[in-house]
Amino acid sequence: MVRALQIALLQVRIYLQDKGDLAFSLLLPIVTFALIYGAFGGQTQFHATAHIVNEDSGGTYSKILLEQLDALDELDVELLSLTEADRKLERADLLMVIVIPEDFSDGLVSGEQVQLLFKQRGNAGQEGQIVRALVQSVADDISLGLQVQEQVIAALVDGNTTIHQIETTVERLLDEERENPTVAVAEEAIGSSPDAVNQFLPGIITMYVLFAIMLTARTLVEERQLGTLERLLTTRLSVGQLFAGKFLAGISRGFIQTVILMVLSYAVFQIFTPLSFVSALLVALVFTGAASALGLVLASAVRTPDQATWAGVFITMAMVMISGTFFPIEEGSVMEILSRISINTYANDAFTTLIAEGGSMADLGLEMGVLAGVIVIGLLLSRYLFKAMPGGR
Amino acid sequence: MPEEYLVAQDLHKSFNEHKAVNGVSFAIHKGEIFGLLGPNGAGKTTTIRMLSTVLEPDQGDVTIGGHSMKREADAVRNLIGVCPQELALYVELGALDNLVFFGRMAGLSSQEAKEQAKTHLALVGLEERGKGRIDKFSGGMKRRVNLAVALMGHPELLFLDEPTVGIDPQSRNNIYETIEGLRDKGMTILYTTHYMEEADRLCDRIAIMDGGQIIALDTPHELKAQIGPPEQVTLEDVFLKLTGRSLRD
Repeated sequence: MVRALQIALLQVRIYLQDKGDLAFSLLLPIVTFALIYGAFGGQTQFHATAHIVNEDSGGTYSKILLEQLDALDELDVELLSLTEADRKLERADLLMVIVIPEDFSDGLVSGEQVQLLFKQRGNAGQEGQIVRALVQSVADDISLGLQVQEQVIAALVDGNTTIHQIETTVERLLDEERENPTVAVAEEAIGSSPDAVNQFLPGIITMYVLFAIMLTARTLVEERQLGTLERLLTTRLSVGQLFAGKFLAGISRGFIQTVILMVLSYAVFQIFTPLSFVSALLVALVFTGAASALGLVLASAVRTPDQATWAGVFITMAMVMISGTFFPIEEGSVMEILSRISINTYANDAFTTLIAEGGSMADLGLEMGVLAGVIVIGLLLSRYLFKAMPGGR
Repeated sequence: MPEEYLVAQDLHKSFNEHKAVNGVSFAIHKGEIFGLLGPNGAGKTTTIRMLSTVLEPDQGDVTIGGHSMKREADAVRNLIGVCPQELALYVELGALDNLVFFGRMAGLSSQEAKEQAKTHLALVGLEERGKGRIDKFSGGMKRRVNLAVALMGHPELLFLDEPTVGIDPQSRNNIYETIEGLRDKGMTILYTTHYMEEADRLCDRIAIMDGGQIIALDTPHELKAQIGPPEQVTLEDVFLKLTGRSLRD
């Protein structure tokens, strides 16, 4: 075991000696985190832009509609001309544009039905549908206010009350109702929120860990080319110790990058509790072990650094693709069965359980068992391959 | 009768259909420098890889210091040091670090490894450069570190596979003197080279290989005497006469 640790330490020392490699590998997770932060703005609420063509320019109610939309925390409003909107929709720069028709204000005043036009590509996407619902809700609110006002005026206008008094009173009462609605909504948080960071972070972490496959796959080949592998094999170091050392080195390197990413996510997005953070570190450690063991299988089979790199890239990409890391996989589909081949699936499920669903280690029996099994089988298989390949021992 | 320290018996090794080594038998006496010469593809490196336990022979066995390589490979590894043809060093690390690391792999304690590393660096004239990174060293310095690494753990049998390739006369002379000094201290050495004058100077006995077999084995003087007066014949003359002048791949 001491020699295995010395092999691992040697690899770490070599890693630390190469300043370029070190800087790159440590900066990579930081840059990735910055990109996540940039993409999601560090915010956990929905936020989008409503692209609007206002053909009722100068109209009272189109102005009110725009003001109320702009006042929503979830929405920014961007005004476009109809030509510009059509061009952007045509080029798929936008998925949806809301057109306020020319007769919007006049129609509302005269009590006619007016129509907002949602011009969209396909179903406008998930974000488009949410924007549509928000706009619809604000428009309904304005419409409802107007209807109430008209009905109250119709009921009271023959008395001593002026139309202005009625309008003012109705508007005040509606504002009060908006502030203190009769049907209120309360929130009760169950677990952490499944926002964009929570959704994507598990996939990004698992992808990082998978780099360990390629890095470990190269390690034996590079030593073989240097001649140090053969030299090591003439010493008292056993092949088992050599593999254990390479395995530990693979884990340590992959784990360092993952920890950087996770610590930054913890600090900035507050997506972990202390317990779930420790649990996630444990999952990352076991998953890195599984990736390193697979890397050793490749390392025992390949003969050149290029073979190691491409085999590592292929397996990494295949694992990410079939695991549904970045796109949903339908339950019961062939893809779901295929996804069970990928170790990424189990790690992703484990991270999702901890990060997005507020689960604990007790919920991860299957995932941890599979990943631990991959470590054992990977190490045994790599040892067998090393012996079976030409010139092996 | 000199003591036989290494005995190779009927070694065979094939790669696919190619017979790299085909029935090689010889013995190396304790304390001698034994030269193994041959053109490219003669089977020298495959033979050394089998003798140093890296490759398992298809047939035959080797006994080193009384231990069978087939049955007691670990015991054999305790007795040998290997200086491969390649510069088998971790170039990102310093010379001293390389020596200490391989010393630890050879079973030395941390303290022993450090002490031996300093001694061996001094032996190859690099005691002042121990902390220098290998990738900043000249070719000659790297070759000397390569040799020093092979000495870690004080092996009884040293395999030197072309240890002087591509280096300046000063470094080559340092390596010659180091090797002669090791022999004087009783170390047994198997030496391969393409430089015939080097083999003539250093080796007590020489085996010439070709086509995976040993085609001649004797002292340099006796080998030369086979084709003419030893004073007028060079070892290169003998080598070319025995292996032919046709180019090898």
